[in-house]
Amino acid sequence: MIHQQQQQQDEGSSSSVTSSPLQNFSNMPLHPATASTTPPWMLRELRSDERGLCLIHLLLNCAAAAAAGRLDAANAALEHIAALASSDGDAMQRVAAAFAEALARRALRAWPGLCRALLLPRASPTPAEVAVARRHFLDLCPFLRLAGAAANQAVLEAMESEKIVHVIDLGGADATQWLELLHLLAARPEGPPHFRLTAVHEHKDLLTQTAMVLTKEAERLDVPFQFNPVVTRLDALDVESLRVKTGEALAITSSLQLHRLLATDDDSTTTSPTAIDKEKRRSSPEDSSGLLSPSTSRADAFLGALWGLSPKVMVVTEQEASHNTPGLTERFVEALNYYAALFDCLEVGAARGSVERARVERWLLGEEIKNIVACDGSDRRERHERHDRWAARMEGAGFGRVPLSYYSLLQARRAAQGLGCDGFKVREEKGVFFLCWQDRALFSVSAWRGRRYD
Amino acid sequence: MASNSSAAAAAAFFGMRDGDQQDQMKPLITQHQQLAAVALPGAAPAASSQHGAPPAAAPPAKKKRTLPDPDAEVIALSPKTLMATNRFVCEVCQKGFQREQNLQLHRRGHNLPWKLKQKNPNQVQRRRVYLCPEVTCVHHDPSRALGDLTGIKKHFCRKHGEKKWKCDKCSKRYAVQSDWKAHSKICGTREYRCDCGTLFSRRDSFITHRAFCDALAQESARLPPTSLSTLTSHLYGATNAGNMALSLSQVGSHLNSTMQHDGGHHHHPSPDLLRLGGGGGSSSIAARLDHLLSPTGASAFRANQQQPQPAFFLNAAPGQDFGDDQGGNGPHSFMQSKPFHGLMQLPDLQGNGAGGPAHGLFNLGFFANNGNSSGSSHEHASQGMMSNDQFSGGAGGGGNGSEVSAAGIFGGNFVGGDHMAQAGMYNDQAAMLPQMSATALLQKAAQMGATSSPNGAASMFRGFAGSSPQLRQAAPQHMDQNEANLNELMNSLAAGGGVNAAGMFGGANGGPGAGMFDPRMCDMDQHEVKFSQGGGGVGGNPAAGGGGGGGGGGDMTRDFLGVGGGGIVRGISTPRGDHNQSSSDMSSLEAEMKSASSYNGGRMA
Repeated sequence: MIHQQQQQQDEGSSSSVTSSPLQNFSNMPLHPATASTTPPWMLRELRSDERGLCLIHLLLNCAAAAAAGRLDAANAALEHIAALASSDGDAMQRVAAAFAEALARRALRAWPGLCRALLLPRASPTPAEVAVARRHFLDLCPFLRLAGAAANQAVLEAMESEKIVHVIDLGGADATQWLELLHLLAARPEGPPHFRLTAVHEHKDLLTQTAMVLTKEAERLDVPFQFNPVVTRLDALDVESLRVKTGEALAITSSLQLHRLLATDDDSTTTSPTAIDKEKRRSSPEDSSGLLSPSTSRADAFLGALWGLSPKVMVVTEQEASHNTPGLTERFVEALNYYAALFDCLEVGAARGSVERARVERWLLGEEIKNIVACDGSDRRERHERHDRWAARMEGAGFGRVPLSYYSLLQARRAAQGLGCDGFKVREEKGVFFLCWQDRALFSVSAWRGRRYD
Repeated sequence: MASNSSAAAAAAFFGMRDGDQQDQMKPLITQHQQLAAVALPGAAPAASSQHGAPPAAAPPAKKKRTLPDPDAEVIALSPKTLMATNRFVCEVCQKGFQREQNLQLHRRGHNLPWKLKQKNPNQVQRRRVYLCPEVTCVHHDPSRALGDLTGIKKHFCRKHGEKKWKCDKCSKRYAVQSDWKAHSKICGTREYRCDCGTLFSRRDSFITHRAFCDALAQESARLPPTSLSTLTSHLYGATNAGNMALSLSQVGSHLNSTMQHDGGHHHHPSPDLLRLGGGGGSSSIAARLDHLLSPTGASAFRANQQQPQPAFFLNAAPGQDFGDDQGGNGPHSFMQSKPFHGLMQLPDLQGNGAGGPAHGLFNLGFFANNGNSSGSSHEHASQGMMSNDQFSGGAGGGGNGSEVSAAGIFGGNFVGGDHMAQAGMYNDQAAMLPQMSATALLQKAAQMGATSSPNGAASMFRGFAGSSPQLRQAAPQHMDQNEANLNELMNSLAAGGGVNAAGMFGGANGGPGAGMFDPRMCDMDQHEVKFSQGGGGVGGNPAAGGGGGGGGGGDMTRDFLGVGGGGIVRGISTPRGDHNQSSSDMSSLEAEMKSASSYNGGRMA
């Protein structure tokens, strides 16, 4: 069966197979002795690492088949994956389950009718559920907590001795991060400033909840505080509604939000990702680049508008991954690597049966995976890009780098060590923090400022 | 007046340098702040007597601003000089003057002999620039020196001096009298009216209000921050003490907040977390230190070094809160396992292992401890005994008695201590270790893809298959299992066929070590390497005890596949034969394992 798949793939879409070693791996026969008769996982129960390798092999094959529009092959691979993957098994099984679901959705797009009938009822998690999952993610994987602490430190340093501090949160930050900032500001030796927080979020409930918590705490700490909720999607945000005023020192933070601005309609016309479509897109690179440009210009326009507010500091946290490539296989391999690391991290941070972990994996990471793999066009919002791309964008919009302070690095390192687990690391390159699981950078935190403060 | 007086003042300083006012100079020097008006000739690298001042600054370092005149004389004045008022007193009427030239002119009125310093028309007057004596000030750097004496004086007063002048109307304070005068004239004369109708007499309070006044229509034009805020930022920014206090308080508050977080997510907000965290951290440092020291090969030293670690456990284990807080503290368990991690990552130990039995045996003993402590979740005293026996056997060979007792107490404590939950956490850790992470699997897959040899892949799979039962066994062994199953497994898996504990542990530990030890994995990420090396070292030791190929320990990395039917592989292949027979037991074990872990999860939630 594997052999059949292999041959199909070889004759079908060799173009879609990248030169990455992982792709080569997907071409390797796994078990030459048994492959001709039965796949190895049918014969006996596998050990976790054997099973993991099989899953990787199958997933890669399935992705290649789905990218090429060979649905029968994808279907066959998914069938095997289903036998091995499990959303409550080890990290590899879990990540495989998430990717299998995403691939299935991708394959199902060929039949929009089926897709609507089946998938619409199983709508994506509610905002409340996503919020809960985010919460758990913060608890189980401390990356975003570290990022939040680094952002707070950068804001605090930039706002030193400012009397009126206005922080704009473009979304993503947790209320605890602002509580922490409140405490930091209250403890300033020069006394607390007037602190105004503008939070941008799609969902009003979340904002009101945050507002309640923060106002109470600000009152307790005796910090003059004002909360300014802006209920909107980030891509529909009007900079005017942020109500930035004269005389206040402005800080902007964004945690895992900016990549959403990169979403475009680039490939929304191709509802069925057939091999012909792929071929067509590959053959006309100038076409695709023409389609890509509006996306960049929209993000650029937004960043330009932010720069126009002349923030003293802007702290950007983004996923350190390249999930915005047009080709599915490439994106898939990158995403598989990225989320495998995150799932590993969860494996260490939580027990197998943990409800919280399951929620994070299903409602948060699973949704992201689905979005990366199964969606295209403006629906595909998880367009993570690496720091160098963001740096180019920020600089293009007029921002200048602000290295995060050494103190903040020490603090982050100490916090990472304090977790008592070897896996979490903080790498610093040119003032940018990379939050790593083992040696793989998963998130980047960088600080920027409007040039006029130079 | 300005040029005249400054010239005079400078002349006065030159005079002081020449030594006619030595007595005045001395206390200033002892004040730890330089007084001497040191003229640094632009070209000649004059000895810069001041500490802290950049050497000579002859061509002033081009930093942010360049001096307009690179040949300018750089003059450093002491704070006392800068703050001094009326240093030159008339002996007749006691009237004081700030500048000597003025005093001389005054003396003329008393008909006293007077003398004005003349400019030497032949000597080209060089421009003078002045440094701020405050070391932390930007104007302390010669490249940022200020151009006139009045300027430096006012700067020093404003930025580093006491604000003695207070406005009666608005209680704003000034350090320089002229500033205060200028403010007093306009204070209260101007009114700021907000759109909401409120009146303000001061601009800064007006701005503060406006930023918060919602009645205010949004402004379209944006101005840079107010002069006031920049002023204050200078004031605060210049004092380093402020900064340090700031950062210190941040440390404190951050510590607090992280503590709260930790407490938050594990639903155990207890101060013990921090304390134990500290302990864990330090012991892991000890382990690392140990690791660093070990290449010297001083085995006696090593043994001593490791002594405190069991002691740490000893102290910690009977602790009252220790067990209580264990419930679901993830980080906690990691901390505890850290020292043993540290031990595991002693690659050199493995290298020396064949030669120095003391190393290897101690290592083994330590592992036994771990096995034992997790085994205590069975609450079988016999488990503890078993491992004690094993350990004393090992240590006896090594000839190190003190360790035995330590380990014995350690084991006993855990068995007697009834630390169920804590042991449970160990289990999770132990169960996790032999298993490859998803990342590692992907890397492995990529490597396999890179080499892309089908035979290699196949053989690797076989290799893995070979070690599989041991891997499994290592996990369930720690779980809360029913004893019969466990024993059966032990029997079937013991490498030498014996039921003795050494055999069992040897099998369990040797398995992951050998199984993970694949040449292809050598450049896996750090974590895996650490683990596999540690595992290998341990795996080698039981083999040595059983008369197997213990000497291979050092070279295992390279030789694993090449050795083929060597001693190491024999150790693996034995249990493989039992694999099929015991598979039913194992599947049942696995089911239980799952339920056990979900039980743990339930407790954690």
